[in-house]
Amino acid sequence: MIPGRVVEIENLSFYYGAQRVLNNLSCGFAGHSICAVTGPSGSGKSTLLTTINRLWEEVDGARVEGVVKVLLDNMEIDLHESKIRLAQLRRKVGMVFQIPNPLPMSIYKNLTLPLRMAGIKNRDQQRQRVERVLQDAFLWPEVKMRLQSDARLLSGGQQQRLCIARAMILEPEILLLDEPTSSLDEGAVSEIENLLLNLKERCSLIMVSHDLEQVARIADSSVELVAGSLV
Amino acid sequence: MNRIYDFTLSLFAGVCGLLLIASVAVMLGFLVGQGGSVLGLKLIFGSTDFREIIDIILLRQVVINALWPALIGTFLLVFTALITALPLGLGVGVYLAEYAGKPAKVFFSLIFDLLAGVPSIVIGLFGFSVTIYLHSHFSDLMPCLLISGMSLALLVLPYLVRTTQSALEELPSALRVTSFALGAEKSSIILLVLLPQALPGIFSGIVLAIGRAAEDTAVIMLTGVVASAGIPRSIFDNYEALPFYIYHTASQFSNQHELQQGIGAALVLLIICTLLFTGAGLLRKKATHHFLYHSK
Repeated sequence: MIPGRVVEIENLSFYYGAQRVLNNLSCGFAGHSICAVTGPSGSGKSTLLTTINRLWEEVDGARVEGVVKVLLDNMEIDLHESKIRLAQLRRKVGMVFQIPNPLPMSIYKNLTLPLRMAGIKNRDQQRQRVERVLQDAFLWPEVKMRLQSDARLLSGGQQQRLCIARAMILEPEILLLDEPTSSLDEGAVSEIENLLLNLKERCSLIMVSHDLEQVARIADSSVELVAGSLV
Repeated sequence: MNRIYDFTLSLFAGVCGLLLIASVAVMLGFLVGQGGSVLGLKLIFGSTDFREIIDIILLRQVVINALWPALIGTFLLVFTALITALPLGLGVGVYLAEYAGKPAKVFFSLIFDLLAGVPSIVIGLFGFSVTIYLHSHFSDLMPCLLISGMSLALLVLPYLVRTTQSALEELPSALRVTSFALGAEKSSIILLVLLPQALPGIFSGIVLAIGRAAEDTAVIMLTGVVASAGIPRSIFDNYEALPFYIYHTASQFSNQHELQQGIGAALVLLIICTLLFTGAGLLRKKATHHFLYHSK
C-alpha cells in the first residue's frame, strides 16, 4: 500500500449477474482528506463504494474479482482474504447514502442503534456520544428538545446530517458518501459541505458526486469513472 | 365509459361493505334483543350481593349455574394457548422470513397451509389421542386445561407464523441495507430493527389467535372442558369455557330462561373478545413506543 493511502484497489472487476459494472480498475484513496469519485450515472461509482465496506455482499447475484485493501487501526487488511467480520468492518467503514435513510424510529434511537448493535449498552456513554455527534453535525441545537420524536419528521437536510452523525457515532476511520447532497436544496448542501470539511480531521472521506462544482469546492483529490473504468 | 366502470365498482364495493356491516348488526341485534335483558352481575356470578361476589372472586365460595367459572376458564385457555403458541409462532415466522432457503420456505408454507386447513374437531381428536396415549404409557394424565391450551396453540399456530412471516417480509429492504451498513449482525437487525417494525403485523396475528382460541368449541370439547367443573385448581384440572357453555345450553336448554342465559353467554364472550382485542391494541402501541421512541 502506498504510504498516506487508506484504501488501495487493484485490478478490481465487479459483476451483477452477467453484467460487468467495474472493469479491471486500480486506484487508491488518501487518508484524512476528501477523495471524490465522479462520472456519469451508471458508471459504477456507487458500486465502487460498496466494495470498500463489502455492502455489495448483501445483494443477490453480485460478484467481485481483484484486491481491495484498507488501512484500519494502522493494519493493512485485504478485504477478500482476511477473516474480518462484516459487522466489524462496517463499524470502521461507515456509509452515508444518496437519499437520507433515517430508520423509522426516534432521532435518539437512530443514533444509539449502532452503539447497541456494537454492544455499547452504558446509557451515560450512549447519551454522551449522541450529544457529541449531534454537535459535530451542527444538529444539536435544532433537535436537542425533540430527541424522542420520529427522525422522519426532520427536513431533508436535517435527516442527512442525522445520517452522517449516525455514521460517525462509532468513530469510523473511513466514511463512504454516496452523493450525499444530491437530494437536498442549496442551503442544506452548503451545511453538509462544511460538515464534511470538518470531519476530515477525524476520518478519511470518499465521496461519490456528479456535481463537479462541489468537487472543486471541497474535494482534495478526485478520480473519474466512465463505464466502469478510470479515465 | 371509464366513469361508468368507476361508478359501478365503487357502488359494488360500497354495497358489499354495507351487506357485511348489516349482517353483523343483525346478529348483534338478535343477541342483544334476545339476551340483553339477562346481561348483568346475576348472569355472571349468580348473585347481585357484593359480599357474595367478592367471596366468589376470592374463591371462597363456589358458583353454581352462572358464567363466572366459564369466563375464567376462557381467559385461562386463551392465556395457555398464547403462552405456548407465541414463542413457537414468532420463532418459525422469523425463521421463514429471514433464514429459510427457498425449498424450506415452500415446504413449511405447505405444512402450515395444511395445518390452517385442519378442522378444529380433528385437532381436538389429536389432542385427545395424545392424552390417551400419554395416560396409558406414562402417567395418569387426563384431559385438562393444559391439553386444551396446547391443542388450541396448534390451532392458532399457523396464524401467528403467517402474520409474523409476512410482517417481516413486507418491510422495505432499505431497513436491512441501512442496518447492515451501520455494522449490524443479522441477529441484532432482527431483534432491534425488524421485529419492532413488524409489531403491528405480529399483533394482528395475535388478535386473530386470541379470537380463534376464545371461540373454538370443538377442540376443547374433546380435551377437557366439562359443563360444571367450576374453577380449575391447576392446569391439570377440568374447566368450564364460554363457547362450550353456549353450545351446551343451546343443545339442552329446558326453558326460555336457560336459552336466554346461553345467549347472554354469547354476548359476554363477544365482550371479552373485544376487551382482549383492545388490550392487545394498547399493548401494541406501548410496545411500539417502547422499542422505537422511548429512550430512558
